[in-house]
Amino acid sequence: MSGDEINPAAVAQAVEDVQGDDRWMSQHTRFVQECKDAEPEVLFIGDSMVQLMQQYEIWRELFSPLHALNFGIGGDTTCNVLWRLQNGELDNIRPKVTVVWVGTNNHEHSAEQVAGGILAIAQLLTSRLPKTKVVVLGLLARGDGPNPLREKNAAVNGFLRSWLPRLGQAQFLDVGVGFVHSDGTISTRDMFDFLHLTAAGYRAIAKPLSDLLLQILDETPEEKRASLV
Amino acid sequence: MHHIANASLTDKVMSSGDSNPAATPTPCVDIQGDGRWMSLHNHFVSNSKDKEPDVLFVGDSLVQLLHQFEVWRELFSPLHALNFGVGGDETQHVLWRLSNGELAHISPKVVVLWVGTHNHGHTAEQICGGIMAIVQLIKDKLPKAYTLVLGVLPRGKMPNPLRERNAQVNKLVKEAVSSLPHASLLNVDPGFVHSDGSISHQDLYDFLHLTPQGYQAVCQPLHAHLKGLLEKQAEN
Repeated sequence: MSGDEINPAAVAQAVEDVQGDDRWMSQHTRFVQECKDAEPEVLFIGDSMVQLMQQYEIWRELFSPLHALNFGIGGDTTCNVLWRLQNGELDNIRPKVTVVWVGTNNHEHSAEQVAGGILAIAQLLTSRLPKTKVVVLGLLARGDGPNPLREKNAAVNGFLRSWLPRLGQAQFLDVGVGFVHSDGTISTRDMFDFLHLTAAGYRAIAKPLSDLLLQILDETPEEKRASLV
Repeated sequence: MHHIANASLTDKVMSSGDSNPAATPTPCVDIQGDGRWMSLHNHFVSNSKDKEPDVLFVGDSLVQLLHQFEVWRELFSPLHALNFGVGGDETQHVLWRLSNGELAHISPKVVVLWVGTHNHGHTAEQICGGIMAIVQLIKDKLPKAYTLVLGVLPRGKMPNPLRERNAQVNKLVKEAVSSLPHASLLNVDPGFVHSDGSISHQDLYDFLHLTPQGYQAVCQPLHAHLKGLLEKQAEN
């Protein structure tokens, strides 16, 4: 982003309680409390794509064993994630890897702005947690057939592919391969509402993700004693 | 006597589309840009063409998400159930979907209806009217079907106006169906609200949607009740 324009997708913003049961703040408060008790090696943060993953078996199989925390909130935009990270959800924890998956709900923003918002999140993470590696997951295609949101999400991914490597500790992982069939459709077997993943859909993305996490965790030095050769 | 006369007038007003937005069939307008609501509706209509379900679940995200977990395969697939849940749907959206093809090709014996919690901006009376409009529509289209309305669950971590609204909806619906032979209300809340007024994220992971554990607690009694209903329908 050039010049002095502020990117609205990079402005931290809490979700206002318009419905009347204050659920967003309740979830945020619970996550802040979890930071006091837990010592996660991996932190997942983002929107419903992150949140829903924890409800499926795959979470217990592949990510609980990695001591992962899940701070996903359905509906969140990059602005909401930024606010949460600035307001307690990084306190007292030192995850070795942070997985960021957010952006598909940023309906008011352009692809470039959304990518800028995600970049701002990655920058915040690396400045608050200098030793953490950041893995940014690409936005998935959505909708039954080709539509403007698929193009937008693909454009976001394009920006991220070129911008993220400039942050030494951040990398981009495309987990969306294979969801769009040759006829341009997405199956409800993978995304039950053409947006959110089924158990099968999560299984498909979890494998490459967990492989990458294991690799990073493996490479990340513990407090190593000098080896006596 | 006077009270009963007033109550039925209100019921008529509230379940007619003229003055109750919650009872006026309304499709969801695609504001996001990927047409998913209509895609799902079309998918349900075409999906129903070669199926012969005994049970149809219809409603909002509480219904939709149920389809994604093991509990569906354990308890409801064996009953030959179809799932027409759409996240975010309010009563008027379900009314539109059922009026526009989702009941055209099937004759389930029981329709399980679970909707109302997302009707923001509507009063409990309006939401009840919306639910009763759906009950009436099902009766019109499927004269032999039984409609089981599930009570709307409490929500939010602590006591709040939406819990009161949902409880009032359940109370009003229960009264409204009490005189109907083809419908009833089942309270499926196993006691999610603890003595301190809180709801646990282990049951409702975002204080609205059910975890697999939450679904088990809701669905075991629901399943038993459904089996009883199906047996009774078979006898008729």
